[in-house]
Amino acid sequence: MSWVQATLLARGLCRAWGGICRAALPGTSISQVPRQLPRGLHCSAAPHSSEQSLVSSPPEPRQRPTKALVPYEDLFGQAPSGERDKASFLQAVQKFGEHSVRKRGHIDFIYLALRKMREYGVERDLAVYNQLLDIFPKEVFRPRNVIQRIFVHYPRQQECGIAVLEQMESHGVMPNKETEFLLIQIFGRKSYPMLKLLRLKMWFPRFMNINPFPVPRDLSQDPVELATFGLRHMEPDLSARVTIYQVPLPKDSTGAADPPQPHIVGIQSPDQQAALARHNPARPIFVEGPFSLWLRNKCVYYHILRADLLPPEERVRWGWHHPEGWNLYYPMQLDLEYSRSGWDDYEFDINEVEEGPVFAMCMAGAHDQATLAKWIQGLQETNPTLAQIPVVFRLTRATGELHTSSAGLEEPPPPEDHEEDDSRQRQQQGQS
Amino acid sequence: MALFHKVLRGTYILRKCSKPTSALHPLLGIRFADYSSSLQKPVASPGKASSQRKTEGGLQGHHQKEAALDITCPEEKPDVSFDKAIRDEAMDHFRRLKDEIVNHWKGPEGRPLQEALLEQAKVVWQFRGKEDLDKWRVTSDKTIGGRSEVFLKMGKNNQSALLYGTLSSEAPQDGESARSGYCAMISRIPRGAFERKLSYDWSQFNTLYLRVRGDGRPWMVNIKEDTDFLQRTNQMYSYFMFTRGGPYWQEVKIPFSKFFFSNRGRIRDVQHELLLDKISSIGFTLADKVDGPFFLEIDFIGVFTDPAHTEEFAYENSPELNPRLFK
Repeated sequence: MSWVQATLLARGLCRAWGGICRAALPGTSISQVPRQLPRGLHCSAAPHSSEQSLVSSPPEPRQRPTKALVPYEDLFGQAPSGERDKASFLQAVQKFGEHSVRKRGHIDFIYLALRKMREYGVERDLAVYNQLLDIFPKEVFRPRNVIQRIFVHYPRQQECGIAVLEQMESHGVMPNKETEFLLIQIFGRKSYPMLKLLRLKMWFPRFMNINPFPVPRDLSQDPVELATFGLRHMEPDLSARVTIYQVPLPKDSTGAADPPQPHIVGIQSPDQQAALARHNPARPIFVEGPFSLWLRNKCVYYHILRADLLPPEERVRWGWHHPEGWNLYYPMQLDLEYSRSGWDDYEFDINEVEEGPVFAMCMAGAHDQATLAKWIQGLQETNPTLAQIPVVFRLTRATGELHTSSAGLEEPPPPEDHEEDDSRQRQQQGQS
Repeated sequence: MALFHKVLRGTYILRKCSKPTSALHPLLGIRFADYSSSLQKPVASPGKASSQRKTEGGLQGHHQKEAALDITCPEEKPDVSFDKAIRDEAMDHFRRLKDEIVNHWKGPEGRPLQEALLEQAKVVWQFRGKEDLDKWRVTSDKTIGGRSEVFLKMGKNNQSALLYGTLSSEAPQDGESARSGYCAMISRIPRGAFERKLSYDWSQFNTLYLRVRGDGRPWMVNIKEDTDFLQRTNQMYSYFMFTRGGPYWQEVKIPFSKFFFSNRGRIRDVQHELLLDKISSIGFTLADKVDGPFFLEIDFIGVFTDPAHTEEFAYENSPELNPRLFK
């Protein structure tokens, strides 16, 4: 009787058998089941009662809270060092292959592996996907005659193949020749996974480069570099200069829990500098923020230095009275129209939203007034007129959802801290 | 009591069985107020107005007119006003129908033909007031049990619309959805007289123009065609709109030749270009699988003719995927 039981155990890891074994072995952990198998038929089967039935009884999950309810999940938990990376993932995949030549339960295993990819950080690795497709037995699922070709041959396996390709598609992984060859070997040329591969190969190149503001996949995690990239991303003027006003202290130098210095990185273009120099000191300028910027899947926050819109009577137009003068030799402002002749009119019949000019932007580690005051002080070096202009800080909570609004709101905004920072005060601070 | 009212008015009005509840269209409520105030002079039983006010809790139009009347009346006369309200609305629809017919004589949508034909840039949706927001509706994956939230409100100084919310790609535990996480803002289908569905005719334009300010997230612009003859609820033409983020307004110009065809959320193999003569609605969707808050500020949406754009359709069909097209 015992060798019959041992053969039953050695039959494979099909789910029904696993259910029986688990039901028949109360108190033993699930990991014992596969461990017994490689030892072959000579191992002594774990004691179970003689009235064990061969019909699969439903497993009882309530009694075994520590056991995995999903088959093969233990394969992913057996990494010796405990770290989850590509090597341990591939090791788990290999272990599955060692169990049986027939590769029973490969569909369940592949679905589980697809779910586990994100934990192991390999969801964008094409080699891992190819290894996963390699699990399928080759040449078995290819249709051999017309009837098999008409009806979907091995539908569950084809669905599983499509699921692998679907996960590749959702993570933006482009399949290569090896994937194509594997799919032809496994399913044949006219199968649904092959069709999906054709669609991936057709649509991915069309949409790969359509982003006019591309963000690289591997963004650096260093906050200063991220801030520099983010500021350059937002500023359309290419001649803008990025200035790093403060760098966070390295953590191992001091014993402080959090770095006392958050990073401050600012950007300003020459046009903005000139506009700030021309700004009337009687009008205040505002530091608004923080606003959110998403770079792929990372959210950073930035602040802006802006002034309110001038009333129409004070706006200076190019002409005789413009401070930069009027030049006889060449026009100071070109107003090129996109029209072929007089009958063309590509202007929209609407007044566009006009907002006050933005003078500078910055990204800082902390969103409080002290940090931003340091930014303003740093800006004063390149914009000496900033010392005379009153700066009002309009900061909201760092939720990053809404733009802060100037006067004219219908509903109350999130709590704002209005602090008037007079120019004399700052001059004193600058001197002391 | 109802008969008494009918005698007073001297007309025969069909009795409606249902009593009006507070769920009535607010427009009817305001008409109630008008009608009851006109009735007060012959009837001298002003209490009905106040009883009406009690039955329709929350309608704002009444309070100013019926403030002086406190006598309660046992009988309600909402049936009468209800009929009048129905009649008013019917008259309103007929008036709109008459306007439509007359405008059609003048030219498309009432504008003279030379102006409509020579137009090269047209503002289709603008956001300058609350009534402009009513032309849009917002949906999120809350309808399938997800956790994303989306709201639409007027932005700074009533000069733009702000679409904001939180995206959550947590799949709903209903056993059939594997993925989730989308938010959308869709325009309502334009309605004519008798709530007929109308459509936009953009056949002389070739580019969509959007003035937006985003937060760096990629959005998807979807255009749906008119469902007059064929049922096309699940078909739409889409393209991507990449926002830059930052405090500057961004102009997004998407030529209509770039829109690809999709059915039930999947790109189809057979691609054909978007026909512009019967456009029903436009929508913006965010589904970039990144959890977190988002916002999009829209100034206006317009269409214009880009003379430099000569492409008719950006995608060609492949003989491998569609052998029947190439036979």
